[in-house]
Amino acid sequence: MKKSLEDSAEKGYERLESRGVSRRDFLKLCSLSCVAFGLDLSVAPKMADAAAAKLMKKPVIWMQGQGCTGCSSSLLSSINPGPEKLLLELLSVRFHPTIMAAAGEQAVQSWEECVAEGNYLLVLEGSIPTRDPRFCTVEGQPFGELFKKAAANADLVIAAGSCACYGGIPRAGITGAVGAQDALKDTKVLNLPSCPVKPDRLISTILYYLGHNELPRLDNDGRPVAYYRYVLHDSCHRRLHYERGEFLSDWNDPKTSDWCLYNKGCKGKETFTNCSSYWWNDGVSYCGAVGSPCSGCSQPKFYEEFSPLFANPEEVK
Amino acid sequence: MSKRIVIDPVTRIEGHLRVEVIVENGVVVDAWTKGTMFRGLEQIIQGKDPRDAIYITERICGVCMASHGWTSAMAVETAHGAVIPSAARVIRNLMVGALWLHDHPLHFYHLSALDYLDVLAVKDYQGNDQNLLGVKAKIMKLVEGGDTAPLTPRYVPDDFSVKDPDTVITALSHYLQALHVQAKAKQMSAILGGKQPHQSSIIVGGVTVYPTDENINQFRQLLAEVVHFIKTVYIPDVIYFATGPLLPLAKAGIGKGPGNYLSYGAFDLDDSGKDKLYKSGFVSNGQIEAFNDAHITEAVTSAWYRNANPAHPWDGATDVNLDKSSAYTFIKAPRYKSLATEVGPLARMIVAGYEPYVKLTKEYGIKPGAVARHLARAQETMLVADQMFKWIKELEELLEEGKSSSLGRTKIHDTDSWEPPQSGKGAGLNEAPRGALGHWVEIQDKKVKNYQMVVPTTWNASPRDDKGVRGPLEQALIGLPVDENNPANVVRVIRSFDPCLACAVHVVSPKGEKLIQI
Repeated sequence: MKKSLEDSAEKGYERLESRGVSRRDFLKLCSLSCVAFGLDLSVAPKMADAAAAKLMKKPVIWMQGQGCTGCSSSLLSSINPGPEKLLLELLSVRFHPTIMAAAGEQAVQSWEECVAEGNYLLVLEGSIPTRDPRFCTVEGQPFGELFKKAAANADLVIAAGSCACYGGIPRAGITGAVGAQDALKDTKVLNLPSCPVKPDRLISTILYYLGHNELPRLDNDGRPVAYYRYVLHDSCHRRLHYERGEFLSDWNDPKTSDWCLYNKGCKGKETFTNCSSYWWNDGVSYCGAVGSPCSGCSQPKFYEEFSPLFANPEEVK
Repeated sequence: MSKRIVIDPVTRIEGHLRVEVIVENGVVVDAWTKGTMFRGLEQIIQGKDPRDAIYITERICGVCMASHGWTSAMAVETAHGAVIPSAARVIRNLMVGALWLHDHPLHFYHLSALDYLDVLAVKDYQGNDQNLLGVKAKIMKLVEGGDTAPLTPRYVPDDFSVKDPDTVITALSHYLQALHVQAKAKQMSAILGGKQPHQSSIIVGGVTVYPTDENINQFRQLLAEVVHFIKTVYIPDVIYFATGPLLPLAKAGIGKGPGNYLSYGAFDLDDSGKDKLYKSGFVSNGQIEAFNDAHITEAVTSAWYRNANPAHPWDGATDVNLDKSSAYTFIKAPRYKSLATEVGPLARMIVAGYEPYVKLTKEYGIKPGAVARHLARAQETMLVADQMFKWIKELEELLEEGKSSSLGRTKIHDTDSWEPPQSGKGAGLNEAPRGALGHWVEIQDKKVKNYQMVVPTTWNASPRDDKGVRGPLEQALIGLPVDENNPANVVRVIRSFDPCLACAVHVVSPKGEKLIQI
């Protein structure tokens, strides 16, 4: 058993190397993943072995429902690993409307072939309309039906971004928009909410899954505990001012610029996310760092139940 | 012999687009562009705090999001009576300017180039450039591994495909380089906006971010890297293709639209807003005239909304009706002076009469069409790239001046106008990377009563209007030579417009009633 893992890992490494990813690079990626999930770094080599053995067998189908392509764009904003590595070297992207060369019939055929073969990761971006299938169609077919068909044969269904997880902003509209878990009901869905999806979470979770052949620990909303264990408020650099009752009221005032944004509508107290510790775009910033209140974008009740986003909650009550 | 060709999904664009064409004797004789996804974002905004509108409309499109956030802010600020401080204006220019710097090259390399390159020609590269040999090795390993997704499947390379191995491999190496550069440009937006996609620092009345010296230095460093790529790789590549391998297509004006061009103008160069980086105007029959938004109307004849007469966005009424037999799309049909009108880089360059663009097209006899759109997009990237350095300098000066003010810091926000007014109206007229973008808001009882958007792809991918006149993209497809079994030319023309369907499809009722009618 152990021997066969070693053999297939070796093959996996060869295939990775044939795609231009060195063993060292790959190990580095897995170490990053370990850090994210709070695993001992000594696990990284084993995880790399296991992931390498399976990685090349895992094609990806990325489907877009009622979305804005922001989650795809966010995936491409990853710098380490860069998009080139992801798209050409680490994953076999069989269907992705924004990236793939094929269009029309050929694109649909790629999708069909991949679905028939099975053993792929299915990523959903955007929500699914349930009020009337005509609100979202591809090749004249209801998107929701196509998605269910793809999910039935997928190894793992990943909902990337809040629309795909819980319906997000479209849920507040007239189309009956829902996320993957509500559309699929009996299938386990890995939720990676936020608007857009945070690329390091998506990439690390995929590596974890391939390395361990199981999902990381999830919370009751289907989110990996590693990223969504604590509310933003817990590690916010403005927290001390909150405790002191110091709240920003004028963005122009230099004396108060790092004071708490609660009176500007910040939802950080009830939003489970690690944004304030792991910043966006490879660590350059996040909403709170630029003086902007948290909108609660990774919570199931986002957006409708968090509106108004910028009003003082004391005055709204 | 006529044949109907359906392309659904049209890939390498933003969103859900279905295109149908009728081909007779190898030429397109009729065309339909169909937006096939609907969310109803404008309706979601109704009844909400007007300050939410920026956040929600930002999510119309994850590609040109900051353009929407900015334009929405302009509309809501007019309704609030807010006046943004100079520093906020410049910070917005920098943040959205960075968006243009990632968006235009990404469109050329990652959304369009595969239409013109026979990627597998790299196998015949015989040169000894180490970098290019690396690219060759990378692609050949994919081929040998039997897994060339997502570069295949594809339409069969045709007469218009570039097959010269040296050209193809160079372009492909730039495709890979551009992937990296677009991520860097996104970091620039994130430095000022918190994250990208979906920045969060543009709010009603200004911005929330007061840039530190470190922010500015980091921004400037990234800008230098990105602009270097734009000037030494992206723009030369587009010019090379437009005046070289694609010149026959360019001279034939393949994919020409209706010949009417509109730009609202964008990027204020001073606080008055009169002087803009991209000029406003309307060109028809080669004649330019001043832009007046009163000439904008939208028809819903061919869209899945209850019938109504064409109306200005202030007066538009649209209720979803999925059973309407004359309809084939979720996209409405905006018209300027009742004319189907093209918006976007080509329109901006023609309206502005931008000299480097005009000179190149004259010198090579390039006519408006698919190739000219790529050329215009590259040329206008230069404008914003150069201006970015001036804006950084302007911002530094404003920040410095602010240090001696009573507050000790330059203002970034109009705090007095932060709370929503009892009532108010406002329009934001702007340019997004894909073209003219308008938001209209009406506030009543401190809530959004009505919200309307007319976005670039609504103009370009619009359907037939009340007079039966086809939209710009539909017109651009007619007369196109097409191989029935390999409709590569159809997607080439579509992609030259850089369509964004999520933007194009939206709906609102000014009366605030429930919209659904199924």
